[in-house]
Amino acid sequence: MVHHSVYISLLANTIKAGTILLFPTIGEIFAERAGILNLGIEGMMLIGAFIGFIVSYTTHNPYLGFAAGVIAGGIASLIHAFISITLRGNQIVSGLALTIFGGGFTTFYGQKWINMTLNNTLPTLKLPILSEILYIGPIFFSQDLVVYLSYITVFVMWFILYKTTIGLNLRAVGENAKAANAMGINVYKVRYIWTFFGGLLAGAGGAYLTTSYAPFWLDGITAGRGWIAIALVIFAMWDPLKALFGAYLFGGINALQFQLQALGTTIPSAILNMLPYIGTFIVITISSIIVKTRHVRPPRELGIPYIREEK
Amino acid sequence: MLYFEKRQSVPQRFKVVIPIISLLIGLIIGAIAVAIVGINPLDVYGGILSNAFGSWYAFSETLVAATPLILITAGLIVVFKMNIWNIGAYGQYIMGAIFSSYFALFASNGLSKPIMLSVMVTASMVGGAIWALIPTLLKIFWEVNEVITTLLLNYIALYILKFLMYGPWKNPTSYGFPLSKTFPQNAILPILFNGTRLTIGIIFALIAVLIIWFLIKKSKFGYEIRVIGDNPLAARYAGISVNRDIIIGMAISGALAGLAGMTEVSGIVHYLQVKIGADYGYTAIIVAWIAYLDPLVTILASTLFGGLASGGYSLQITMRVSYGIVGLIESITLFSLVGAQIFLNYKLRWKNGSS
Repeated sequence: MVHHSVYISLLANTIKAGTILLFPTIGEIFAERAGILNLGIEGMMLIGAFIGFIVSYTTHNPYLGFAAGVIAGGIASLIHAFISITLRGNQIVSGLALTIFGGGFTTFYGQKWINMTLNNTLPTLKLPILSEILYIGPIFFSQDLVVYLSYITVFVMWFILYKTTIGLNLRAVGENAKAANAMGINVYKVRYIWTFFGGLLAGAGGAYLTTSYAPFWLDGITAGRGWIAIALVIFAMWDPLKALFGAYLFGGINALQFQLQALGTTIPSAILNMLPYIGTFIVITISSIIVKTRHVRPPRELGIPYIREEK
Repeated sequence: MLYFEKRQSVPQRFKVVIPIISLLIGLIIGAIAVAIVGINPLDVYGGILSNAFGSWYAFSETLVAATPLILITAGLIVVFKMNIWNIGAYGQYIMGAIFSSYFALFASNGLSKPIMLSVMVTASMVGGAIWALIPTLLKIFWEVNEVITTLLLNYIALYILKFLMYGPWKNPTSYGFPLSKTFPQNAILPILFNGTRLTIGIIFALIAVLIIWFLIKKSKFGYEIRVIGDNPLAARYAGISVNRDIIIGMAISGALAGLAGMTEVSGIVHYLQVKIGADYGYTAIIVAWIAYLDPLVTILASTLFGGLASGGYSLQITMRVSYGIVGLIESITLFSLVGAQIFLNYKLRWKNGSS
């Protein structure tokens, strides 16, 4: 009989592992809402994870490391923004290039950091009163600052998307750029801002991985999480609140994998490690069927470059 | 301020100039990246060049790396022309390796070499094609995005390979290393030139390119995939069976990636292991684009990037320069290439005034 504290710690780890996916998923939702498909999430996460790790390691301050990783992800996204917005290049190919870039960059500069471990990771901050609530407290409110930041991000971004002019303009740009331009919205500016925002959040996901969940450096440490996040955007049907469920679902698979391995399961580790990808595969198939049958669809101008006509 | 003005016609010479300049930009940024960590870029590029093209053996190693690249790229061209994004060549390559290895490891008794190799070639192509058709059917029936599914299948294929290598197919005398038993002699591709590792796999690759070239330039299928690429709706109205062509294209693409996996295990490694040329599937995407989806040009482009891979790999051993530099150069080249496409249709102009 397994003690119930095992389940509590499993669920608390689910939140942690889910946070790694939640940030990039939210970021990609907003980039895609503005019409920019960024398949470079995996690359930006790797860069965020790497910069987050080395800054934390050298400054002994995981908050500084996390912030550096966020910014690094944002900077990386600007390459994709410039190519797909200003130069109107193919977004699929540019995004793939960004993923290869992140891999090459972190493999090259990460060589001497391999297998190094962080001593101080993001500390747990139990929230007063909230952390005392039965079951809910230890799972949701005995986490670190970045997890709380992710809760706030989800609700703030949901609010911005549906309840503010900023969100209205953003959706207009992704649905019909020409009409948005006629309404006086600067399409290029909006797309740059939200692609950059997507990069910041991809960086946040990566940096959270190495400053909290897996505080060491390995080549390719994000292990395809960027692609899971892209699939989660479809699962969430471009809605930040639904992204929360998707991210925690896959966080749960990650945490379970980890727990089973720690308990010494007889299931081969290759099969356990395959689970998130099989899960994503099934989820994206089912979500696509739902998207097809219901009246939800991707932003109409997703992936289409905007060209302002000269007067 | 600067702005883009539409061109009247596409300057064809740009299709030669742009890839060359893109590669140069990739190499220059690569040089800066290397210089930052205090290594002389000239040493690195000198090293890559001599390890890739410096001697007959070095060049044969470049062709060894180019073989899977040519095969995979030839297949990718067919689907990329339809704007179908097969990012799963890596997984299809692994499946080809697994399917052909099955026969080499468990069903090789008493078969003559030509028959055994034919069985392995067929198995690898079937394996790769199956792995490509799963996402294709999902796309056709339910519009499941093939970029994501083909990519996820890369990871799934890799973990199937790992499962086999750590479990049922593991060589009991490999001291814990994740690899299979060595293939029997009749399951090994013949060497083309003594003293090199170059096998008849390169002949397979060249034949594949010729077939794809013929398909694209001379057949009805080739005409149809160009129409589909330009405008799938118009293709449908013109009576082209778009779904059928996508299925055929993806099957070809997967089969050739699978065959590439076979030439690697049967020709180069001689057993199955976890690490079998992980980068070929992604590098082939770059090769396809830099060759402007022209099958004959991919031979040249594959040799160039095969050289970069082979030279970069030797450098990791001799100079301890991380192989990551290859990915850096490749990605910057690809960025430049995609970014520069605008100059095919637009020219940069300067206009006075603020708007």
